[in-house]
Amino acid sequence: MSRALGLAAGTEATVLTVRGPETFRVSGTVDGPGVYLSDADAAALAEGVRVIGVVTEPGADVAAVASAVRAAAGAQGRVYTGEARGALESRDDERTRWIGMQVLTGMTVLSAFVSVFVVASTFAFGVAQRRREFGLLRAVGATPRQVRRMVYGEALVVGGVAAACGVALGAVLGPSLGELLVAAGFEPVGFEVRVSAPPLAGAFAVGVLVALLGVWSAARRAARVRPLEALREAAVDDRPMPRGRWIAGAGFCALGVAAAFGAAVAGPEGLVTSGLYAAMAMIVGVALLAPAVVPFVARALTWPLNRGRGALGMLVRESALTAIRRTASTATPVLVTVGFAVLITGMVQTTAASFAAARTTTIRTEAVIMPDGVPGLSDAAAAASGGESALFSALYEANGEALSAIGATPALLERAGEVRAVSGSPAALGGDRVFVSPWLAKERGLRAGSALRVAFEDGTPGTLRVEGVAEGVGADVLLARDTVRAHDKAALADVAYVARATPVPPGMGARPADLDTYAAQADADEDRLVWTFTLLLVAVSTAYAAVAVANTLMMAAGGRLRDLRVLRLSGATSRQVLGTVAAESALAVILGTGLGLVVAIPALLGLRSGYGDLIGRHVPLVVPWGLIAAVAATCLVLAATAAVLASRPALTVRERPHVRTGVTVKRRRDGSEIPR
Amino acid sequence: MDVKETVRLWSVRRLYGTADRTVRALDGVTASFHPGTLTAVMGPSGSGKSTLLHCAAGLDRPTEGKVVIDGTDLGELDETGLTLLRRERVGFVFQAFNLVSALTAEQNVALPLKLAGRPIAPAEARAALAEVGLAERAGHRPSGLSGGEQQRVAIARALITRPAVLFADEPTGQLDTKTSRQVLGMLRDLVDNQAQTVIMVTHDPVTASYADRVLFLADGRLVDEFTTGVTAEAVAARMANLEAVASC
Repeated sequence: MSRALGLAAGTEATVLTVRGPETFRVSGTVDGPGVYLSDADAAALAEGVRVIGVVTEPGADVAAVASAVRAAAGAQGRVYTGEARGALESRDDERTRWIGMQVLTGMTVLSAFVSVFVVASTFAFGVAQRRREFGLLRAVGATPRQVRRMVYGEALVVGGVAAACGVALGAVLGPSLGELLVAAGFEPVGFEVRVSAPPLAGAFAVGVLVALLGVWSAARRAARVRPLEALREAAVDDRPMPRGRWIAGAGFCALGVAAAFGAAVAGPEGLVTSGLYAAMAMIVGVALLAPAVVPFVARALTWPLNRGRGALGMLVRESALTAIRRTASTATPVLVTVGFAVLITGMVQTTAASFAAARTTTIRTEAVIMPDGVPGLSDAAAAASGGESALFSALYEANGEALSAIGATPALLERAGEVRAVSGSPAALGGDRVFVSPWLAKERGLRAGSALRVAFEDGTPGTLRVEGVAEGVGADVLLARDTVRAHDKAALADVAYVARATPVPPGMGARPADLDTYAAQADADEDRLVWTFTLLLVAVSTAYAAVAVANTLMMAAGGRLRDLRVLRLSGATSRQVLGTVAAESALAVILGTGLGLVVAIPALLGLRSGYGDLIGRHVPLVVPWGLIAAVAATCLVLAATAAVLASRPALTVRERPHVRTGVTVKRRRDGSEIPR
Repeated sequence: MDVKETVRLWSVRRLYGTADRTVRALDGVTASFHPGTLTAVMGPSGSGKSTLLHCAAGLDRPTEGKVVIDGTDLGELDETGLTLLRRERVGFVFQAFNLVSALTAEQNVALPLKLAGRPIAPAEARAALAEVGLAERAGHRPSGLSGGEQQRVAIARALITRPAVLFADEPTGQLDTKTSRQVLGMLRDLVDNQAQTVIMVTHDPVTASYADRVLFLADGRLVDEFTTGVTAEAVAARMANLEAVASC
């Protein structure tokens, strides 16, 4: 540090402290982080020590040391060893870990959900391609139950192998992911991933379970194949959609809209997670309705292609329409991803915008002073600009449980405008008279006149008298500013309210800002975390969709090679054949994107109007269109590439040598070859 | 009831389609098939001969009427019951060979027994293949077998359960003349030497000439029956007549 700042023993250095800028003389440099002060200087700037660490020699008897320490500390302290030391974790770390838990839960739920979806759509396509094979098995004596078990068996084998690979990969990559989470701010510094057997076994079981859940509907469908279908030339599944599916689809859509609204009302804490559930319900709904919707939309979308002169347009339209199952199988994962991306990013950004909007309307001053590159504002900084600020501190209950505390004055509350008294008058704030948040009042059974026994940050015990309950405090307890300052020299403020923007003297670590700037930046850190989280979720779902789309097209291509060869023999150039294939897959992706938007936009609009009503103000609908376009483009490029790569073998116009002459190859209406 | 009959149909009707556009594929067919006989069912396209086979074999359910195989009324069985009956008592040979492409000839032959969960001696499937003259092709997959060989594997598979009746749908439809003759000769031997009951659908008079009896179908009804003098020429003449009527 001395080297970086050019400080040597004997020079003077001005340091920003909780009391404002102070000048110290450098007496020497040490081989360690931070700045070291004399005990007297340090005591003037901080409220003593809350935790004393005991470092044991290797091999020491921890239990004996602990009991010795316990005897020495007596009633003045508690001794924690081993896992129990977690109780001492700082509130910041605890909060970061809570966010990390949300991130990991969200990603796990999303991956499981998308996996089930991808497995279901892949197997549905596979079963449709193999109808004749299942019909044959049924004809030679397989019961529906045996066919169903066979499909489950395939899923079990494939799912087992894939889960084993995933577990191995997870064990190798887990520690790096841990580092990434720390770097992104989702886990506290010091968090590390340790690989142990039980979570890996659990992950394996979940992987297999996801595969089995995914094939559930495909297995049922395979079991319903009738033996006669082994004999039919065209096995077309043109039965109308069952009514149960209509009802379930509509039900899930309604649930999704309700959940989206619920997410907005729930507030910022669980926004992403509850938004995730809303998006998932919507998507399940639309995917259930897809068989009814996709053919109709595909017909409308490709109508102009029929008008053109070229053969390519006609080919693309007709093959997309006849191979409706392939089109639907390609479009569904894209629908899932785009719908999900629009919903979740739109929700997060719209909500952030509305919070900012809400904030500017509540503050009653014209400008604020904000910290500038430091953790908070000192009283000196606030005073230098003539502003008033609230202080953040903590109180401790008898069992050591920490409560967050804010120190303010009635005048300050008036200016900030965010606090609403549910009972009692804020003017009564002062001395030991405090307000508590609704949840604390409910949890501890506090009413006006109740006593709250706590210890302050400096360790002094005290009894606070509850004056009333207040909302919008941003902490558990609202105290008089002087009371907080008396017990916490180090307490800082995150904002000071000033009548108008006035310059702040340099060296104070503060800068003035107008209300819009403040509103936009007040939650910037939290918003950044939420946004990173959201992007992670979008990336995960896009990756899954890309795999599913490429997979479906590869599966479909195998059965189409002959068609493409015929096309080639009828005089199409390689470029035309590949163009047709690429255009077909692009069409399916565009279809999925369109349907995804159709899912997401109404839900977002509903959310916005609900939210607007709630805060009594117009809320802008913010959707990061650039990001959505990138997601769709990723799917588009991957789909076209997969389809073109898989179709390349068709470009050579030679017959496959093992196809026997004199045997006509039968094909289904979707163009795939019927296995003999 | 005459228990000597292996398969019997009573006034079987099969309608397809919706209420406003109905196709009568079968319009009241009554017929019986005796053990140890080879019966050919003939008729112009769309006469209902395949539907007759499917209903008689329990692959399809009649809209009206009753089908009895080996003393069991098919109408009383659910889907699984029907499957079990087909597995135990009925064998099929189709036009398109219908072998599972991932399995070898031997595995294809053993498939019905495996599905029934019966223990199967390796020799059993090989013996069945030997009966159709394919002992040395046991390890080949369908893609490595000729059309005639595939059809013989299909016959071996159909017979492995010792079925009461063997149904064949255009068994020679995709074979050349020489292989057709081999396959038909084999079916004839089964009837003569092992008293196997065989019912086959065909539109080819030469194929039909291997039968003991020929039933003629037109518009879903039985219109004629040859029990003696089954020759290719006679059958062809009757068919030409039926087709002329159908095209009017």
